[in-house]
Amino acid sequence: MEILLLAIVLLPLLTALGIKLVDKFINETLINFLTINSALLSFTIASGMFVLLTMEKFEPIHFTFFTWLTSPEILFEFTLDGLSGIMMVLVTGLSVVIQIFSTSYMSQDEHYSKYFIYFNVFVFSMLLLVMSGNFLVMFFGWELVGLSSYLLISFWSKKQSAAKAGNKAFILNRIGDFGFLVGLMLVLSIFGTFNYEKVFDEVLAGNEQSLDLIVICFIVGAFGKSAQFPLFSWLPDAMEGPTPASALIHAATMVTAGVFMLVRISPILQFSEIGKLIVITTGLLTALIAAFSAINQDDIKKVLAYSTISQLGFMFIAIGSGAYVAAIFHLVTHAFFKALLFLGAGAVIHEMHHEQNIHKMGNLKTRMPVTAAMMGIGTLAISGIPPLAGFWSKDEILASTFANGGIYYGFWALSLLAAFMTAFYMGRHWLLIFHKETQNDVTQVSEAPKTMLRPLILLGLFSIFIGFINTPFFHGVEKVLHETLHSVDITHLPEGISLIILAVISIGAGFTGLLLAYLIYIVDILSYFKVKVPLKKELKLLSANTLYLNKLGDLIFVRGLKLASRKIAVVVDGLMIDGLVNKTSSIFYNSSKRVSKSQTGLVRSYVVYFGLFMLLLIGLFIATPWMLN
Amino acid sequence: MIEVSTDWYLTLAAILFSIGFIGMMIRKNALIMFMCIELMLNSVNLTFITASRHFGTIEGQISVFFVLVVAAAEVVVGLAIIVSIFKKQSSASVDWLRASRG
Repeated sequence: MEILLLAIVLLPLLTALGIKLVDKFINETLINFLTINSALLSFTIASGMFVLLTMEKFEPIHFTFFTWLTSPEILFEFTLDGLSGIMMVLVTGLSVVIQIFSTSYMSQDEHYSKYFIYFNVFVFSMLLLVMSGNFLVMFFGWELVGLSSYLLISFWSKKQSAAKAGNKAFILNRIGDFGFLVGLMLVLSIFGTFNYEKVFDEVLAGNEQSLDLIVICFIVGAFGKSAQFPLFSWLPDAMEGPTPASALIHAATMVTAGVFMLVRISPILQFSEIGKLIVITTGLLTALIAAFSAINQDDIKKVLAYSTISQLGFMFIAIGSGAYVAAIFHLVTHAFFKALLFLGAGAVIHEMHHEQNIHKMGNLKTRMPVTAAMMGIGTLAISGIPPLAGFWSKDEILASTFANGGIYYGFWALSLLAAFMTAFYMGRHWLLIFHKETQNDVTQVSEAPKTMLRPLILLGLFSIFIGFINTPFFHGVEKVLHETLHSVDITHLPEGISLIILAVISIGAGFTGLLLAYLIYIVDILSYFKVKVPLKKELKLLSANTLYLNKLGDLIFVRGLKLASRKIAVVVDGLMIDGLVNKTSSIFYNSSKRVSKSQTGLVRSYVVYFGLFMLLLIGLFIATPWMLN
Repeated sequence: MIEVSTDWYLTLAAILFSIGFIGMMIRKNALIMFMCIELMLNSVNLTFITASRHFGTIEGQISVFFVLVVAAAEVVVGLAIIVSIFKKQSSASVDWLRASRG
């Protein structure tokens, strides 16, 4: 059983190595055969393990691969419990679907094999991350997903923008990783071990008081990886990568690593009030800023990127209000409908010949009916329309926030606003692409090929039905996570009538958002009634530029640092260090030049020196006895 | 009759040495400089012999023989050098030879 666990993690790595070894000799079909079969195998084993886990009542399974370090003892160990089980099935399952889509999307690309190598390396790293049994192994996977994300963002590295976006993602992630690393050191110095269970047992025994610092370090790490304020600006840029890779990495799995990690450390997190407050306020801020920015994006993928950031904000809100189950549940549903939306966007981009501006699309539903329908499902799901997946998870988050009471009522209201904005911009997105009558010539566009449509339909079905795994009537996810979170204080849903009222309110927000999008962008109600929105232009600019946060960061951290380092280079390096070295050498050069003047080369002058020194010696000879007396 | 004392010899040796040394400093003909060196060597020889006579010992005279032998050997080498210099620049002036100028 343990060996199967290892197989799940190592299969993608072996696939990547295998493709790398033989990619000179095989064509696309063979690569497809290799990679998809291995992904299917991996998924099958993962599902089997999950079923076994279910039968064992989610009792954690531990497996030590080898001893990494001996003093302090650090094992390269894996843990399979409900939490990593969910993530494992999610990652391997989506990997299958998205790889099938990729075979069509990436077809004829000159680096076809490289794409699948990177893809498999990513899946390996993500599995390592989620199935880790201690903090160090998790960090190992954490860094590897960062690396493979970087490789896939700058996959088309001939494009300057892609190369830059890769760098930006990597560098911003480093800031978060710094927090994680400091957290790791603190854990080792305080607890003397990295093992989750040992650390959590220590904490639960109440031996440690100063947990705030550790928690904040890990939170910083989560903010970097999960693109939370203020480290989120890399995610929209990351859309330079191939769309299926964006779907898997920058929507469904990698960016949720921060959420996963915070749920993993929830036994520590629950004791840090300040940590929870930081998480919820940042999540809220991110959700609002990203939703606001998404309203005026023109790039089909950037809208989805901002929507991802905003949804991640929702997950952080859930964590901050103690609703860890809701966070993981939203992670799962979001993975499905966001992968669906991204793959749909990929299909549109593919058929529009890499046109990404949504204003150049329009009325595509006549040309691509299936894609339009599936994207529609995704849009409804993310807007929180029942009974689609997004409704159940988002409503659970909102209700749990409400259930905390006190200041959390305010948080609830703001989250509701973000949910409303989500519905609004997603409605705009779908309507502008698929519905709006347009002068653009879209007659050449045809429906996507079957290899793209089938994954879309599959994900569409999941986006409809996956929400039923955790409803107020059937707490599926909660049961799965029960063993993992047995020592954690979870916020439960409010009971009875208030739950129904909250649900109605959030459904109302979703519908209003969609309706408003329809009225504004299709019926054009604003110009019909000649409504003047105050400061419309400024608001639009502010939204399209993400409150100019990116420019501000550029000004402070890029230009400011550049200017400062240039100044320092001139003063310290140029004047002080170079000056010192050059001055020393010139002193020696000049003085030796002067001394060498005395070497005239004339025999006579040497005789004179000789005579002078002789006189000196004679003088000393005479003077010495006189001086001594 | 004036007694020729040790001082006289020593004074003569000092005068001869000074003439030789000044000659070295102010002349640039290699041959003349060579003669000046011989003059200085011989003044030193004179000092040795004077001292030997004054103290009634033999060591000074032995030293003089050594100096004479060395001077003879030096003349052989030195004259050969002077001849080759003369061949090269048709003048025995040492001021031309300034290759070691700083």
